[in-house]
Amino acid sequence: MSAGFSIPARLASLVLALLALAAPVRGEDLILALSTREVAITSTYTGAEITVFGLIERDARTIARTGNYDIVAQVQGPTGEVTVQRKGKFGPIWLTDDRKKYAKIPLFFSILSSRPLTAVVDETVREKLMLGLEYFLPKPEAQPEKRDLDDFGFRNALLRLRRDEGGLTEDPKSITMIRPNLFTARIVLPATAPTGLYLVNLTVLAEGLPLKTAQAGFVVRKVGFDAFVANAARTEAWGYGLFTVLMAVMMGWIANLVFRKD
Amino acid sequence: MQLYLPIAELPLNLFLLLGMGGAIGFISGLFGVGGGFLLTPLLIFVGVPAPVAVATSSVHIAASSVTGSLTYWRRRALDLKLGVVLVAGGLVGTIAGVLFFNQMRKLGHLDLVITVSYVTLLMSVGCLMFVESVGALLERRKGKPAVLRQAGEHRWYERLPFPMRFHRSKMSTSVIPLVALGAIIGFIGTVLGIGGGFLVVPALIYLFRVPTSIVVGTSLFQILLTMIVATLLHAVFSQAVDVLLAMTLVVGGVIGAQFGARTGQALKGEQFRLLLALLILIVGIRFALDIVGAPQDLYSINATVVDR
Repeated sequence: MSAGFSIPARLASLVLALLALAAPVRGEDLILALSTREVAITSTYTGAEITVFGLIERDARTIARTGNYDIVAQVQGPTGEVTVQRKGKFGPIWLTDDRKKYAKIPLFFSILSSRPLTAVVDETVREKLMLGLEYFLPKPEAQPEKRDLDDFGFRNALLRLRRDEGGLTEDPKSITMIRPNLFTARIVLPATAPTGLYLVNLTVLAEGLPLKTAQAGFVVRKVGFDAFVANAARTEAWGYGLFTVLMAVMMGWIANLVFRKD
Repeated sequence: MQLYLPIAELPLNLFLLLGMGGAIGFISGLFGVGGGFLLTPLLIFVGVPAPVAVATSSVHIAASSVTGSLTYWRRRALDLKLGVVLVAGGLVGTIAGVLFFNQMRKLGHLDLVITVSYVTLLMSVGCLMFVESVGALLERRKGKPAVLRQAGEHRWYERLPFPMRFHRSKMSTSVIPLVALGAIIGFIGTVLGIGGGFLVVPALIYLFRVPTSIVVGTSLFQILLTMIVATLLHAVFSQAVDVLLAMTLVVGGVIGAQFGARTGQALKGEQFRLLLALLILIVGIRFALDIVGAPQDLYSINATVVDR
């Protein structure tokens, strides 16, 4: 932080030097607020949108910056195990010939920014902030000769398929700067995003360097009838099964009575 | 109108589900087949996770077979005794199938053998039925009604020990081939995850020469018992039965099955056999297309399990 310290004017330098002596130089502070802490799933749920409000706080002791701030954020949903399978040729027919399991993969992963990510961060910073689902995959072998071509294909397929399924998104227009130090970030949650805890990791950068990261979280859960059904299916499996069978038989019987001609 | 499904964990259009349930119910009531071999892939296609699709289809099949069975029962076209014998055999086959299924994973590409033999079986049954029914239709044109059974004629497997008389089906046969038939269907059904009604129906028509309308009613009754057990097992062990999805499909299904059963009763035996032959061929071709020809994407996400 101190490397970026600069003195704007000779006259002011004395005051600033005194201040700097009295208290250490401070970096920016980041304050976040979410539009909601809980996304409730009901029978009419078709996805949700959550807004993060953010304020980059500076005061007299904050070091001066020439450029604008950049904001990047990653939103991580509940993790899970994903199985990728590959088909292979056996004579004239195609069958599954290999599958690989990946554990602890965030089943929802979204990267938000105010402009294209490549313009904001370089590869090192990107990896440090884990801006990409690939950083959650097990590391490939260090020695190139040991690297498996198979493994490479599977990793690429996983990322591509998660993107196609909507579980991995990247939106360079989702963060809006209202003022140079005030912004909103929009998180779009598809209806298929799993229930559970979601973590937002938001970082403010200047000239490609991360200054401050703050976290916020929200929870997605079923409420009312949907919560009741999901609970019953898990905790009262026999009763739930019997009820379902009984309903099916009843409805079949009623339909027969309704449509009986004689 | 979108409806969020609590176990499948996604919203689907209510009218799409009603329509799907209705169409499959119609086929079920018409042919005396469960329709799971059509419904399960359809559900997976619209985004329902595979375990939920398999488990929930069984509820829909149970409901459409209740309404179908009752219709045939009222018209005295359901052989209860025959149905129970088939179910008894089916139980043996299902248990063997479950044991085999768990062993199969350790044996490598045995699923290849099963898939190939299944496709071959479907295609040959479908082709034979197609040729036979077209022949019978042409015969009828010429004014010679085809007779499938001569009075008093018994094939070798019908003369095995333990004879039993089935009044409703107008036949007497040894119990052994019937139990064996039930067992084979139960086994195939468990291993491949399909009901097998469309193998029971031609087997009863051609091997035992049971009248077509009674075959359909009896097959539906057998499917009903099997699917009630399947639903309970799915609910307890895989916990993947979505009651809301099931009920939506069922409302469409029971109405469709009513129309199907009525249409089926109006068909002549040869017409029925021709349509069923076409259905079996379509299913066979679908399974064949799955394994022949290069897939669009070599990779696919096979399962996603959320950490709880």
